[in-house]
Amino acid sequence: MGQSGDDSGIPNAAILIEFAEAAVGADTARLDAARTAVIDAMGGAALSDAAGVAALFNAIDRVADATGIPLEEEKAEMTEGMRDQLGINAFGAVPESAEA
Amino acid sequence: MGSLSFDIAPAPVRDDVAAALPRVWARIGEPGSWLTAEQRVAIAAEARNVAGCTLCDDRKAAVSPYAITGEHSHLGALLEAWVDVIHRVISDPGRLTERWFREVTDGGIEVGEYVELIGVVVSVVAVDTYCRGIGMAAPAIPAAAAGAPSPDTPDQLNTELAWVPTLDADVDGPLQAEFYAGAPAHIRRALTFVPATARSFWEMANTLYMTGAQMRDFGTEYRAISHAQIEMIAGRVSAINQCVY
Repeated sequence: MGQSGDDSGIPNAAILIEFAEAAVGADTARLDAARTAVIDAMGGAALSDAAGVAALFNAIDRVADATGIPLEEEKAEMTEGMRDQLGINAFGAVPESAEA
Repeated sequence: MGSLSFDIAPAPVRDDVAAALPRVWARIGEPGSWLTAEQRVAIAAEARNVAGCTLCDDRKAAVSPYAITGEHSHLGALLEAWVDVIHRVISDPGRLTERWFREVTDGGIEVGEYVELIGVVVSVVAVDTYCRGIGMAAPAIPAAAAGAPSPDTPDQLNTELAWVPTLDADVDGPLQAEFYAGAPAHIRRALTFVPATARSFWEMANTLYMTGAQMRDFGTEYRAISHAQIEMIAGRVSAINQCVY
């Protein structure tokens, strides 16, 4: 899956990816346009639920990172391909040597 | 002052969301388990104040955020160490480290205070992101209610899973029944050192996202977007936040 979601086979992927990025970004005009695109393609209820998911993960990512909760081994194995495509495998805590 | 209502929301808000988020929001203004209401309100206000902090911008742009020193742009209501935690968790959560956490808690912030602080910060993040997402102004921070904190720390703790102690999942108890029913992911344990914080967070999470049982029930769609669409949004947001969980 590319970052646009176009090749994911998921309906309205590109519209939802754009909305997700805009919802956690700072560009109000971009979010206004993304919100309109979701409503036009999927309706207001879909907008509300998409906003809910973006909101929760914007929060829960911080819970995981701030508490040091590790990913379950089986989940890491199951999602390795998707995580690589999304670029998540490139992330990680700053090496201790880089903290000083 | 400071209440949250979706009565005139610009988009349809599900009844469970319209009920849960105002409760979560109101709790910010109430005494917690480790923190006073005044502290909780000040933490929420500081969380909103992070945008535009030059030190945070400089750290975000640096190879290592720990190499950049300076003073945060802050509201002046909290100790500097607390301000630094709030700003780092908001602006650069993907580069928090266990060494940093140990320095924070060795330096005078109690672990219970830290966990509760995180709970307040992420409540603000979630509510503000949701409101902005549906095109609605963020609510005012609640006023602080009178009263003292009510300490409530579990007896049975696991100190090896995460940086923070978590409710031990390998023994039976009422808190385990409440938080670990079904097949709980590790993330369900994250805030359990302060049960009231965990309870409030999961009330919010179960409505904005899904319950664990709903998440695993791929034969039924519980939202106006599909499981696949939900996980795609979740994955993209987590990638932006550089979250490995």
